[in-house]
Amino acid sequence: MKKTLLLMLLMVSFVLVLSACADSEDASNEDTSSGDTSDDSSNEESENASEEEGDVNLRIAWWGGEDRHERTLEVIEMYEEQNPHVTIETEYSGFDGYFDKLSTQFAAGNAPDIIQYGGNLNDYVLRDVVLPLNQFLGEEIDVSLHDKKMLESATFDDELYGVTLGSNAFGLLLNKTKFEEAGVEMPSKDWTWNDFNEITAEITESLDGVYGTQYFGEDGFGVYIDQNDKVLHEDGVLQIEKQDVQDWFELWVGISDNGGLVPPEIQAESSQTPEQSSIVRGDVAIEFGASNQLGAYAGATEDEIVLHNPPYNDLGNHGASLRASQYFAGYSETEHPEEVAKFLNFFVNNKEAAAVLGNDRGAPVNSEIRKTLIENANELDEAIFAYVDFVSSTNDSPFVPNLPGYNETQAVFKSIGEEIFFEQTSIEDGVDYYWEELNSILDDNRE
Amino acid sequence: MFQAKKNYLIAYGFLLPWLIGLIGLVLGPMISSLYLSFTNYDLLTSPEWIGIGNYTDLFGDRVFKKSVEVTLVFVIVGVPLQLLGALLVAVLLNQKLRGLGFYRTIYYIPSLLGGSVAIAILWKNIFGLDGLINDFLAWFGIQGEGWVSNPNYAVYTLIALAVWQFGSSMVIFLAGLKQIPMELYESASVDGATAFRKFKSITLPLITPVLLFNLIMTLIKSVQVFTSAFIVSEGTGGPSNSTMFYTLLLYLKGFSYFDMGTAAAMAWLLLIFLGLLTAVVFFTSKYWVHYGD
Repeated sequence: MKKTLLLMLLMVSFVLVLSACADSEDASNEDTSSGDTSDDSSNEESENASEEEGDVNLRIAWWGGEDRHERTLEVIEMYEEQNPHVTIETEYSGFDGYFDKLSTQFAAGNAPDIIQYGGNLNDYVLRDVVLPLNQFLGEEIDVSLHDKKMLESATFDDELYGVTLGSNAFGLLLNKTKFEEAGVEMPSKDWTWNDFNEITAEITESLDGVYGTQYFGEDGFGVYIDQNDKVLHEDGVLQIEKQDVQDWFELWVGISDNGGLVPPEIQAESSQTPEQSSIVRGDVAIEFGASNQLGAYAGATEDEIVLHNPPYNDLGNHGASLRASQYFAGYSETEHPEEVAKFLNFFVNNKEAAAVLGNDRGAPVNSEIRKTLIENANELDEAIFAYVDFVSSTNDSPFVPNLPGYNETQAVFKSIGEEIFFEQTSIEDGVDYYWEELNSILDDNRE
Repeated sequence: MFQAKKNYLIAYGFLLPWLIGLIGLVLGPMISSLYLSFTNYDLLTSPEWIGIGNYTDLFGDRVFKKSVEVTLVFVIVGVPLQLLGALLVAVLLNQKLRGLGFYRTIYYIPSLLGGSVAIAILWKNIFGLDGLINDFLAWFGIQGEGWVSNPNYAVYTLIALAVWQFGSSMVIFLAGLKQIPMELYESASVDGATAFRKFKSITLPLITPVLLFNLIMTLIKSVQVFTSAFIVSEGTGGPSNSTMFYTLLLYLKGFSYFDMGTAAAMAWLLLIFLGLLTAVVFFTSKYWVHYGD
């Protein structure tokens, strides 16, 4: 009998040990880069002891392509070398699922100390998970050389929440090779929507299997609103009217009827990834994009891709403006807020770091660093800088963050567009539904 | 007496690891999700009690209705096709053929790969505008469609994907077919029954218990379909929500739309629906399942 009990005890403890191992493995957040083997459980226990030695363990998360990963990892290594007391664990991935995973980590209270956000920073500031940075200004973080507009874009209720990793501008990517094949002249800078309508139809007509343009999507809608001297929203309160949405879809159905727009089936098959975009696959000659993506698109095809401004409207606006690409921000529950602040400062203000990071997240917001970068720019980067310059000298509209509840508002906008282009619903009904949904989502995503 | 008690203790001791798992990993999360379904919970701030609001809101939600519709189409069209396909292959593989083991393995492979991301991506390419299917159709001068990018067809390509993964039901059907005594077929042959007649009067009735099992498993699996739609539509349920399966919407609401409360409510509605569905199948089974006694 005793033997049985002993055996049982052994088995139970064995299972417990096993499950404990599994737990700590889960919690130590798949670190793919550094060979750091210290697991979380031991960290927690030795927290007090290590605090005395000054060892700091930070976790950082970002999304991006292979190129961005390599550049970012190099800068992190650089930082670790200069700050031997800091160890940085990295959690990087593509964009798919990035914010889903983050939500789960927030819910479990183990989110990374430093997190990359996009235009959805406001969604997270609203929910109090982002570290306020005013307390570090002038000490750990120096923003004296940063563009004012970019600082404003990360400021909510007079509190700064993140450092801007780069500025860019929305614009159009034009496949010059396709224009030449079609025998259509490249548009001038001051083209209008009428020109756009004609040019896209001409391309569709002249080439077999190539269409004028891809639909511009929600980001393009933002530019369109800017053209009308409006902003989408202020602090989650809509500044547009239903008629604006209606006009937008009527404009596009008009382009579609005229032959310039790619069929919805091809539209639905393309994706945000440069390699699978319609312009790279050769289905269209014009696609909407952000200036910092020129390199990625141009690199994915043999064709010559150039950056161009959106067409002007009757008010004489092209609507593209300088905007923040991404931010690094701290986690409000981080154990080392000062260390987080120091790293953020390094990432945007250190010259060597900036040289490694280049133009990947857009033009640096630190004016001195941007100057150095422009001096050493290659041809593609020069085109980007020239475009950004053109945009900021012709349009000074304020930066508008994403609509609150971005993931959902964007999904509704997308599916309504699809229903309209597939002719499953009329423009009126689609816009009615969108307007209703939009208002109810915004209600759910305000304080 | 004392000895018996001790034996119980030992038994529970051995059960302990499983009990810990059941309570910690199944019951605990279930109870907390039931609680969350009555709250407004965005994952980032603490939940706030709102009663049955999440449940009532769902019935006015157009995307929710669409997701129910898409899932029902997938179940009503897909389940019979899946069962039929699996049974057909099982009957074929029950013949006396050379290299039968080889065929059985080959035909089982799709189900091994079935749940995987790679297959969903492959599917997307096969049914794409420039995909294999359209290349094939082009030989006959037929202009193909964007099978996965056209809202009228997208869900059917996903049904085709599910039907193709017949392996696990097929193996169970095969086991059922092997149970049927050969004498029945022999005497039927003596009486001059055709192959079809034999299938209808011998195979089908005798295989109904296995059919019941497969039906329930396939129903549950189909109602919960997720991976294929998630991959093929890149997590959007598009185009125009035509692949917005119930579980995909549940996932989006919970992890993407900051609405875990509603997601939890959806999970409970799904559980109740599956419970009822299974009960109905069990209830009707006494009219069509023959246990041979």
